[in-house]
Amino acid sequence: MASQKPLLSRAVKLAAAYALALVATAFFAFPVFWMAGSSVKSELDISQYPPVWSFTPTFENYAKLASELDAFDAFVNSAVIVGLATTLAMVCGTMAAYALARFDVKGKEIIAFEVLSIRMLPPIVSVIPMFIIARALGIFDTYWLLAAAYGLAGLPFVVWVMRVFIQDIPQSIEEAAMIDGCSRFQTFWRVTLPLLLPGLAATMVIVFMFAWNEFLLASMLTSQNAKTLPVIAANAIKPKAIAWGLASAAGVVMSLPVVVLVLMMQRYLVRGLTLGAVKG
Amino acid sequence: MGIEIKNIYKRFGSLTVVNGVSVDIADGEFFVMLGPSGCGKTTTLRMVAGLETASEGQIFINGRDMTHAEPRHRDIAMAFQDYGLYPNMTVFQNIEFPLKIRKLAPAERRRKVEETAGRLGISDYLGRKPAQMSGGQRQRVSLARALVRNPKVFLMDEPLSNLDAKLRAVMRTEIKKLVTDLGITTIYVTHDQIEAMSMADRIAVMRKGDMVQVAPPLQVYDRPATCFVADFIGSPPMNLFKAELANNGRVVCQVQGFGDALDDAERERARAMADRHGHFAVGIRPEHLQCVAAGTPGSVEGIVELVEPLGQTTNIYLLSGDTKYVVVTDRTSLRAGDTIGVIAPGDKVRAVGLDR
Repeated sequence: MASQKPLLSRAVKLAAAYALALVATAFFAFPVFWMAGSSVKSELDISQYPPVWSFTPTFENYAKLASELDAFDAFVNSAVIVGLATTLAMVCGTMAAYALARFDVKGKEIIAFEVLSIRMLPPIVSVIPMFIIARALGIFDTYWLLAAAYGLAGLPFVVWVMRVFIQDIPQSIEEAAMIDGCSRFQTFWRVTLPLLLPGLAATMVIVFMFAWNEFLLASMLTSQNAKTLPVIAANAIKPKAIAWGLASAAGVVMSLPVVVLVLMMQRYLVRGLTLGAVKG
Repeated sequence: MGIEIKNIYKRFGSLTVVNGVSVDIADGEFFVMLGPSGCGKTTTLRMVAGLETASEGQIFINGRDMTHAEPRHRDIAMAFQDYGLYPNMTVFQNIEFPLKIRKLAPAERRRKVEETAGRLGISDYLGRKPAQMSGGQRQRVSLARALVRNPKVFLMDEPLSNLDAKLRAVMRTEIKKLVTDLGITTIYVTHDQIEAMSMADRIAVMRKGDMVQVAPPLQVYDRPATCFVADFIGSPPMNLFKAELANNGRVVCQVQGFGDALDDAERERARAMADRHGHFAVGIRPEHLQCVAAGTPGSVEGIVELVEPLGQTTNIYLLSGDTKYVVVTDRTSLRAGDTIGVIAPGDKVRAVGLDR
């Protein structure tokens, strides 16, 4: 009898934990669910109040997204620009982080701080100078401009985060590799890099998401050719009314690549996000 | 042949960590660098490995100037205190790694890995990851990885200090046997005097970036060059008594009876090593002092302060005047407060130089 009471209270605790988790999940998932739901409602169903819960799904919003807003072109633009930017930031950032973590660079704390200071500038301050520079260089409204801007914006984050991940790898592992016959680069490529994968994955997802969702620079520095998804999604806000169905469809299209990326990286992400917290 | 270190310095800014060390290490020799932390022994080793660049001086490995060569071109192997194993690879892959970098054929690699693993008794663990192994097993893997490519030179940086005392004793003899059988020139860094005494062909005792004494273990024990060496080696350490050469050639000692016990040869030595004020130390190992009845002719009177029975031996802490020292004897019935006589046999009393 005595042992039943703690068993019972443990069951209650477990149930409470699940209930709490359920509430939290519902809280965060509901807007996403609502967006996905709205994207397949007809214009009539969307304007219903109170909202309708059962309706015939339709893909007219997605069709409109493609025909009216050129979503396909924008998707390609976004993919190319963000892909370039993420690659640039990850490759350069990780190499810089490695140098700052491992080499005897003079004044490396100052360099690291200087890199971070780019982030301290509010983007809105830099947008007009960037516009003028872009015009002067003739790269306004091209992939290169946004890719460079996003790459540079992601760089400080990559440098700082990857530096910590690299410092967490015991130096003796790299020294062992060099003595085992590796050059510096081979050491990095064959020994350090595989150990950095969780950190790289976590960092990459964050850099990717930032660039993928960026609106301010994209709206100011493009006009026709290099429009990205957030810019055309904003076009769903029409002068007279907000096209909720269109906006929701755009939201879904924008979210999908991030979801896919996170799922692909999940294996590394969990370790990456908790590494540093628990060393070992 | 072997390793030749010529007057190397290592400076970090204004801090000099290695202060002009020179030593020749013979082919196949087991050379131990011993000293407290911060004495420059690990930095010296890392300069031989190429992981640290010498600020000055030269390093020759097997007759070739390797002062500025990359580690991979030095044909050395190294074992680290924290093992330095690749955590994402299995034991097999860890041991195979240096062969893979050298582009050996897979079959040849497998044969060598299995042979080396067998030699170190880790054949059953080849599929495991390092994290799934104990400290002793991990160190065996790191030794296997080092030995698999038949290096000419083996550098070991406190490889046993993360192991418990019992395992350390086992690994000590194993490592010594292994590298002696293979005839590999070895530099072994440790702060553990027992490791140094039991394994070394020669010991270099280091202090503040200098090699204070380089000699075979028993010579370091019997004839320590300076007070630092005398105090660092032996447990309990050598008893040291302040002494001075008077103008008339007489030795004035803190415990005069021990100073008088110096034989002629040691007196000569004292004259050579005393500093410009004539100061030096008289050193006697605790096990060489003999307890006799109080008042025995030629003995120094001492009061027993503490008796420490250790089973095999007994430490007796004594006070003569205001000088404390220790005698190691067999079991004894002496008690604190007893007054006894202590005799220092003339052939065991040493003149020891002061440290600069």
